[in-house]
Order: sequence, then C-alpha cells, then structure tokens
Amino acid sequence: MSVTTRTVPGRVRPAGTGGRRRGRRSRRGGWIERFGGGGLVWALALFNIAVAVWMLLASLKSTREIFARPWALPAHWLWSNYTSAWEASNFGPAFLNTLFVVAGTALSTIALSAPAAYVLSRVTHRLSGALTVFFAVGLGIPAQAITLPLFVLMNQLGLVDSLPGLWLLYTATSVPFTVFFLTGFFGSLPGALEEAAALDGASPWRTFWQIMMPVARSGIVTALILNIIQHWGETLFALIFLQSEQNQTLSLALLGFLQRMQYNDGDWGVLFAGVCTVVLPVLVCYVWLGRRIIEGMTLGSVK
Amino acid sequence: MASTVVPGSPARTARRSVLVAGSSSPLARRRGRLFWPLVAPALVLYLVFYIAPTAATAWISLNKWAGAGPMQFAGWGNYRRLLLDPTFHSSFVNTLWILFGVGGATFLLSFLLTMVLRHLAGRKALRSIIFFPNVVSGVVISILWGFLFQTDGLVNSLLGALGVDNPPAWLAEDHLFLVIMAGLVWVQTGFYTTILMAAVDRIPPDLYEDAELVGVNAWQRFRYVTLPLMWDVVGVCAVLWSISSIKIFEFIYALAGAAGQLPSTKVWNMAVYAYGEAFSSGVPRYGTSAATAMVMLAMVAVLVVLIRRVVRRDSVEY
Repeated sequence: MSVTTRTVPGRVRPAGTGGRRRGRRSRRGGWIERFGGGGLVWALALFNIAVAVWMLLASLKSTREIFARPWALPAHWLWSNYTSAWEASNFGPAFLNTLFVVAGTALSTIALSAPAAYVLSRVTHRLSGALTVFFAVGLGIPAQAITLPLFVLMNQLGLVDSLPGLWLLYTATSVPFTVFFLTGFFGSLPGALEEAAALDGASPWRTFWQIMMPVARSGIVTALILNIIQHWGETLFALIFLQSEQNQTLSLALLGFLQRMQYNDGDWGVLFAGVCTVVLPVLVCYVWLGRRIIEGMTLGSVK
Repeated sequence: MASTVVPGSPARTARRSVLVAGSSSPLARRRGRLFWPLVAPALVLYLVFYIAPTAATAWISLNKWAGAGPMQFAGWGNYRRLLLDPTFHSSFVNTLWILFGVGGATFLLSFLLTMVLRHLAGRKALRSIIFFPNVVSGVVISILWGFLFQTDGLVNSLLGALGVDNPPAWLAEDHLFLVIMAGLVWVQTGFYTTILMAAVDRIPPDLYEDAELVGVNAWQRFRYVTLPLMWDVVGVCAVLWSISSIKIFEFIYALAGAAGQLPSTKVWNMAVYAYGEAFSSGVPRYGTSAATAMVMLAMVAVLVVLIRRVVRRDSVEY
C-alpha cells in the first residue's frame, strides 16, 4: 500500500518531491482497513481457491488418500475416477437434457421479454408505467407460492415429467426478471437513433428489430448469460416436475449420484470427479466471460 | 458499470417531454400500435404462470386438499394448524435466523470487504474469486461445504493443527444449522460485496479527498461519506436479500438430506417445510403447504415495504 503523508493531498503535491500519486483514487485508509481487512479479503479469496484446488486434487485420489493426505498431490493419478463417475452417474443424458432445456429457455425468454421490455420503456402508452411495475412485482413472489397450482396445471396438460414442460415453466418464470432487467437497459439507450430511423421512414417494427435490437445487444447477451447460469443448476422445479431418470437434468443427476455414492460406502474420489465434471464447464465459462457475468448479476441494483 | 444515463439529466427530460407533447403525432401513434402485440405474449405468460397461480395458492391455503379429488373448505384452519405445529415454529425461527442472522453477518462482512477492496491492488481479480461460488449450482456448493465439515474433514484437521482436540460433531443435528448459516454467509458475502463495490466506485473520489482534508478517521469516513452515498444501493441489497433469503431451498436440501430424503426437521426453513408438506409427507397436505407459501409471500411484502420506506426517507441525491 502506498505510504502517504497526512497533510499534503496527492494532487497538489509539487512534482519532483518523490510523492508520485499512485492510482486514480485516494488510497489512504486506517491501518485496520489496510491490514486487518486486507487480511480478511485475502483469507476469503484464498479459502475459495483452496476449496477449488482441494476438489480437483480429491477427484484424482483414492478415498483413503483424500482423508490421509488432503493437500498432497495424488500418489497415483486416478484418472479412472472420471470414467467411473461418468458410468455410475447419469451425466451423459442429463447433460444433453440440461443443454436442451437451458438453451431453449434462454432463447425463448429473450424472444418474449425483449420486445415487451422495448415497448414498455420506449413507447409512450398510458399503461407502460403500471405494467412495468406489475412485472417487477413478480420478482418478489417466491417460487413456493406458485408451485402447487402449476403442478396441478402441468399435470392436467400432461406436461409433468417432460422436458418441454420444464422448458415452458422456466421460460414463464424467467419473464418477470428479464423484462425488468431489459426495461432498465432499453431505457438507458439514447433516443436519437429511433427518431433518425423514423425520419428515414423505417416502420416502428423495423426500428425495433434492425436498429434497437443490435444496439441493445450487450444487454441482451448479459440477460442470456444470467438466464443460463440460473437454470444450469436449478433444483427446486426440476425436483418437483421431473420424475423419471431419462429426463433428469444435471442437478438431479448429481443429487442421485451423491445418494448412490453414500450407499456404496462412499468412494469420494469418484464423487468429486463427478462434481468436477459438473463444475469445470462453468469454471471455463466464468474465466472466459467473468466480468460480464459479475456485472450482469449485479448491474440492476446499482443503476 | 454504473455509467448509465442519469435519469434526471436535462437532455433526457426534455426529450421525454417532447415525446409526451407529441404523443398524438402520426409517428407516436404508429409506434403506439406496436404496444400490445409486443407486450401481450410476455404478459399472458406472466399472468397464466405467475399471477393466476399465486391467486390459486391463496385459495388452496384456505382448503384441505391432497392435490387431487375434492377440496374441502377449511377457512383459516391451515393457518391455525401452522400455528400449532412445532415443526413449523422451528422452520419459521430458522427462516428468521437466515434472514437476520445470516443477513446481518453478510452485510457486515460485505461492508468491511468493500471498504478494504477500495484500496487493494488486484481488486478485480479478488472480486472474481470471491464471487465465484455464486455461479456454481447450489447443490455443488452444498456438497463441498458438507465435505469440509466431515469428522476427518478439512475444518477439523485445521482445528486440530490449532490445538482444538475435541471439535464438535458439525454435521450432527445440533450443529448442522450453524454450518448451514456459515455456508450461506460464505456464498452471499461474495455477491453483496460485488454490488456494494460497484456503488462505492460511483462515489466521486474528491469527496474522499475533502474528507481527508478535514482529517476524518476510517469510521467517520465510512459513516459520513460512504454510507450515505450508497444508501440507496444498500436498500436495494436489503430488498434482494429479503426476497432471496426467504426462499433458500437447495442448499439446505442437498447439504443435509443426502440419503434420498429431506433433512432433519431441525434445520428446515419455511421453503423446505412448504416442499415437505406437499411432496414428501404420506398424504400430500397442499393446504398447509400453500398457507406456508402465503406466509412467506406476506413476509416478503412487509419487508420490502418497510425497507423502501426507510431508504426513501434517508437517501441522498448527489
């Protein structure tokens, strides 16, 4: 940390006195903030890294070794844990099921929400304010308050234990948040583009589709990513609305796998190989798209 | 991140008023024709799959029903049943513990971390690392967390190295909820720290320099500069936490109920209770399950209204 003197603010310090201002923002803080708190941040970050490293190591060890030497590199690298996990679990089909439902949900959610968000934020209509609030109310309704009637309804439609049924549910329950998120996003775009397009004789539909959608691309991509992350590990609805093994999604397969491993007196190495199989794709996406994910997940709150 | 158009900026207000004034112009009328066709699909889905089911749940909560067959009107019977059920009591208390206990610890830690991260080198990297658990599915997180607390797991070996010879049986009924709460703090701190960091980044640095000139200490700087200027974001965080904490489900379900059934009732919260009543008791009790969901909804509503009231009164424009 930079050591600064108390009396001279950085920006008026004369050049050549050696007091180069470091960084954009003032970096002073009490020693508690700097050392005590800094330690806390590092502790938390190191803890997360340690858990990840430990998980990776454990996935390549025998159960005995996991407990006997948790931090050592594996004595024998048991890559076979991964093949055993893949065979003992239902990950193959579950992976495809999840991919189908999650990708379908993300696309249909955007297809429904983006147009609604666009007109709610950019077309003056006497109901647009009220409807925007009405969609936002949905954010506060806990899933538990809608599951029972949905279960009855889906049962009557023959859509329980069906992947298209889950897709429909995921889409419907994503609409409030996505409309809310995109309304804020469209609202922050400059209006001059639309006016210019209208003056050039573009129809309102064309203005939306060919002018505003491309301009809003980054917001839409963020909404897509958020939707995918949210449903990749969704458990409650999957648990209630899916029953047979062939329809399992990844989180159900993982739960089933966990249970089977416990009955078999725990081959933990194989269990962690299974966990890693589920986590690694997410980790790769996170490294690739990290900032966008983080900022998307927290953006709505700060604006 | 926060560099969006300021809602009240003069240019924007002016444009808005032009649009409003010209709302009968042919252009506006043609755009108005687009309103219903584009809103309707989303709205219909929202009404059918969200609003109608909520209303139906309210109705089911007044009936005795096993999910199929005839409903039997019960009035407030289900709610009275909840009042008398000790399992519901402990689930309610646990929900409050998560809401206020975990929430308090999370916010305290997040404030502290935010203050520190403002000065720290490598803050973006640190942020990514502490945020990561939020991206991984709750089931995975809870498997990992449970593993750390096994009898010969990492936590105990660490405690052993520190000289604690008789660590408690973490995963036994008595301590399990504590382990769950600690795990929630671990995951949530990363999330709220990230939001608060974004709010602090918005605060103009010269305000801190002014504060420095007056010679404030760290606490005063937090209390009189940082906190007031991010107060509205703190309010949003509180709303987010109220909404999300009440419905926490998979973390508890997967951490404790691994043997193919629900965890011990001692660690249930209301979300698990609502699930258990409907989907895992012998005869499904949809009525009490629905009543529980309605209590949860009412809690969310009350909290959101209270929080908004507190925040609006004290928020500062800058």
